[in-house]
Amino acid sequence: MKKISKLLAACALLTGLFSAPAWAQDNNLPELAAGATKSALAQEALKKDAVCTKCHDESENAPILSLYQTKHGVRGDPRTPTCQSCHGASDKHLKGDTSGKGRPAPDHVFKKGVYSASGDKERADQCLSCHKGGKRNNWDGGQHQNAGVACNDCHVVHRPKDKLQDKKTQTEVCYSCHKDQRADGKKLSHHPIAEGKVACSDCHNPHGSTGPKMLKKNTVTETCYQCHAEKRGPFLFEHQPVSEDCANCHTPHGSNITPLLKSRAPFLCQECHDGTHASGTPAGPNAAGRQGGLSSTNAATPPAALYPSKNLVGNACMNCHRQVHGTNSPAGGYLQR
Amino acid sequence: MKSNQEHFTLSRVAAAVLAVCLSPSWSFAQEEGADELTRAHSSVEVGVAAPSAASAKFGEYNGLSKVEGGVVLNANIRGGDAYGAGTGSQRWELKASDLGTTSRELGANYSDQGQWNIGFNYDELKHNLSDTYQTPYTGAAGSNSFTLPGFGLAPNTTTLSGPQLGAYQNVNIDTTRKNTSVNAGVEINSRLGLKFDYNHLEQTGSKLMAFGSAGFASSGTAPAGEAVSILPNPTQYQTDTVNLAVNWTGDNANMTAAYYGSIFRDGYDRVNFTTFATANNLQTMSTAPGNDFHQLSLSGGYGLTPTTKLTGSVSTARNTQNDAFVVDSFMYVNTGTAPGNANTSLGGVVVTQHADLKLTDKTTRDLTLSAGYKYDLRDNQTASAIYNFQAIGANNIAYYPNTPLSFRKNQAELAADYRLDKTQRVRLAYNREDVARWCDQYAVGGSNYPAGTNCVVAVSSNDDKLSATYRAMATEELATNLGYSYSKRVTTSDPNAIVSMIGVRGGDTGSTVGTIKGLNGGDYLGFYPFFDASRTQQMTKAGFNWQANDALTVGFSARYTDDRYDSLYGVQSGNGRGVNVDATYTYTENSSVTAYVTQQSNERQLTSQQRSIAQGAGAASATAIAIPAGATWTNNLKTEDLTLGISSRKGGLMGGQLDLVGDLSYSLGRSSYGTVLNYSTATTGGVVCSDPRILSCGNLPDIRAEVVSFKLTGHYQVDKASKVALGYLFQKLSSEDYLYNGLQYGSNPSSMLATNQAAPNYSINAVTLTYIYNF
Repeated sequence: MKKISKLLAACALLTGLFSAPAWAQDNNLPELAAGATKSALAQEALKKDAVCTKCHDESENAPILSLYQTKHGVRGDPRTPTCQSCHGASDKHLKGDTSGKGRPAPDHVFKKGVYSASGDKERADQCLSCHKGGKRNNWDGGQHQNAGVACNDCHVVHRPKDKLQDKKTQTEVCYSCHKDQRADGKKLSHHPIAEGKVACSDCHNPHGSTGPKMLKKNTVTETCYQCHAEKRGPFLFEHQPVSEDCANCHTPHGSNITPLLKSRAPFLCQECHDGTHASGTPAGPNAAGRQGGLSSTNAATPPAALYPSKNLVGNACMNCHRQVHGTNSPAGGYLQR
Repeated sequence: MKSNQEHFTLSRVAAAVLAVCLSPSWSFAQEEGADELTRAHSSVEVGVAAPSAASAKFGEYNGLSKVEGGVVLNANIRGGDAYGAGTGSQRWELKASDLGTTSRELGANYSDQGQWNIGFNYDELKHNLSDTYQTPYTGAAGSNSFTLPGFGLAPNTTTLSGPQLGAYQNVNIDTTRKNTSVNAGVEINSRLGLKFDYNHLEQTGSKLMAFGSAGFASSGTAPAGEAVSILPNPTQYQTDTVNLAVNWTGDNANMTAAYYGSIFRDGYDRVNFTTFATANNLQTMSTAPGNDFHQLSLSGGYGLTPTTKLTGSVSTARNTQNDAFVVDSFMYVNTGTAPGNANTSLGGVVVTQHADLKLTDKTTRDLTLSAGYKYDLRDNQTASAIYNFQAIGANNIAYYPNTPLSFRKNQAELAADYRLDKTQRVRLAYNREDVARWCDQYAVGGSNYPAGTNCVVAVSSNDDKLSATYRAMATEELATNLGYSYSKRVTTSDPNAIVSMIGVRGGDTGSTVGTIKGLNGGDYLGFYPFFDASRTQQMTKAGFNWQANDALTVGFSARYTDDRYDSLYGVQSGNGRGVNVDATYTYTENSSVTAYVTQQSNERQLTSQQRSIAQGAGAASATAIAIPAGATWTNNLKTEDLTLGISSRKGGLMGGQLDLVGDLSYSLGRSSYGTVLNYSTATTGGVVCSDPRILSCGNLPDIRAEVVSFKLTGHYQVDKASKVALGYLFQKLSSEDYLYNGLQYGSNPSSMLATNQAAPNYSINAVTLTYIYNF
């Protein structure tokens, strides 16, 4: 029964492709010249595809025909590839089993199944033959290429929806390799990545870039300023590590210390300062487990007045030096205004 | 955050849906014909979402924090003549998601593929930061004026009166981002295309920030003492962004010319607040100044031969800022003696430039060679001048120039990727990075800042890195990799640099002209900030992916990094470890289980010279504990993070009508700080670390966050076009953080106003019930 239904479906498709519909025929409507061009394009392309789809039809377990819901399936676009544009002419495969050893593989196999997958460079080259330049200008020699990743290791071509194209599902693909980032995203402080509001590709160009860590922009700061332009300045009084690299203090994929910090003040500040008044002061717990040493004012009669030092509690150094990203106040040389 | 430990009970609606799902019903065989596979598919989902309680942290980004029940409305509607049997090339799409929440998104696009496309998108995101913050200040969150109640407050905030305590009120702290964007593209011909997009980002709300205020002596002319209020700093931001690109693609070359513009404006030029110190003066805090950024870039690639490719790009950008200075009259000392005091705005200009060139060659099948060079410049052309101002804590007229820092990076890379045989590859790479830092101009004034003084300590550095990676397909089912890298950064420092920050020899004032202070950036000689200090770094990583059989795949990866700093003081070393194990078992075509575990840990060791030798840490008086000169202390940071997850999908239940997807994750993060004083108890008169008079050493309580999340969603196919989805979400957060202890009234520092914020904890159930119509 299944074979019969497959056969009927294949017949229906082939019939649809080669005979009946008006779009597949030249018509007599001269005012539709442009449409007729597209119609002709579609007809020609479908004829070429039929070489493959007469076997690989809707009965396939793997999605084949749903490609026509994707951009690769727009037949009125002259750039649209045929099956053989990507998979190769595959003459031996089409000719079938002539030696009794089974049907040879198509020229280019993108996914391991009955046949072994082609090498990563071969698979990538098939895509890059059309998708030249632009975002992919730096694919050659880029980190993903060096790691043996090909386009279809991340993208799906035949399914109607490519997870990478949707912010809500993109991380499912990226996290399949980037496990540390998956774990970071579950930490207390994180960008709204799991919530589908920020995607990896908002900051990174997975096709290769000239920036560090495959960032879309040339530098870390340029990348962050896309959304955090209030930190860009230039400020009257700047803060060197901020001007150079946001990642000196922040860890963008997630942290146990809000907001996305590598460490917490005063310790974070003490990694760069030990000369200014409290920056060289050690900090520890007081009797109640509060942060910091005692205020010299209130420690006069210990233990009755065990108030922690304001230099070490709350925002610690940033209780006073709050403008750590820079300030435009002429009274802000200490980053206090 | 509020603690919500509530138990979930199924609503009557949910029970009714379950009853429908579980009742005997008809089944159908869904055959996907060619038409079904090629036509446009659309769907609309409507329903309700109901969390069991309100919590800012639970709803930090999901739009469900403060709702007892919300409307779920998602839609994706597609059409056009390029679907199914259509012969055209036009497609359109309407998208909507989470419309009933504060995370709503709405978009539309229309295209004639290969000809043109246009699109629109609106995206909203509310970020809930805190719902436990309290303050006696009046002034709603989002405003830029905060005043104390009429009765004022005493400088000692740990002894507030009854009416003062009664003035405390809860204020929700959140920000809302609204992005509105349009985009368009035109394919002028097969080689030339034009792309444009514009985005308007509007951010409103507030974030908590500390406002240190200058307490004034009775004379009202000189600062005396400081007080700290944590207040909702308003974020009335607007950012307009434009991208315009022309792409050209030839047979053997490609090129893109682009413009990127970003204009930022802040709705407030200042924040006014009254200090609770002394006379409740009205003081002024600056806000982020508006700024413009314009960038032109050109990038492209050229195939020199079929196997040799050259790519490169250049860009130049101009970033300007010239907002009028807003001064705090209590701290700005406009004596006229400092040149900068005559300025009314900065006239800030930063020019950034980038250039890169990369050559890749695959002349032989087995060997790929690449050579690359990158150049980045931040040229801060802003003028430097000396400004007079006060510190908030004391009469301390500072006499400092602004430091318009410029830096330049030159990077080079040589790499070879060699295929040993059909299954093995090795890659060797060498990277070199040179960094130079300077100021185009640095204001000089008397002997404080003599001519020729550097504005930065780490004037240059070079970093050499070698890396090797080995990849092998041990079998067709087993892929392995192993990598190692070693890098050494050597920094040239100028200990005579006087950076405009206070320091051990800083704090120069107008009255002490003639004394050079602030050498070595105000730090002790031998101290280097970690980010530009000399250091060596080693990294090792390994992993494999094993396709055990058609059903089971297993992945493993591990990494270890080790950093050693060449500094007498400052960060001494750091290391990081990570291990990941993943496994997926696919037992039917539409049913699978995935489980993973990730363990991460990091350590950092810091040694610093004791700042004050006259005043012992926590000492009752300056002479109670005599800390010897040159004494040091060490602080260790350790973080441990464990993440576990298991997800499962089971399709084909109930005759093929029910699909279930479940996801359980667990995350435990711990950060701990430990401080050791590197001097003996004999020095401190026998007082040990645990003595209340010390209290600046020992281990702080762990910062701990434990998150459990369980999500179960069932889709029941009612008929060919309709589904009913019932979702259940449970999330629990247990967190402990010593930070909040010091913010409680009675436990806070005497000059810092308590906010009574609490560590976030919640346990919340949420149910969603939706109807999905596919057409």
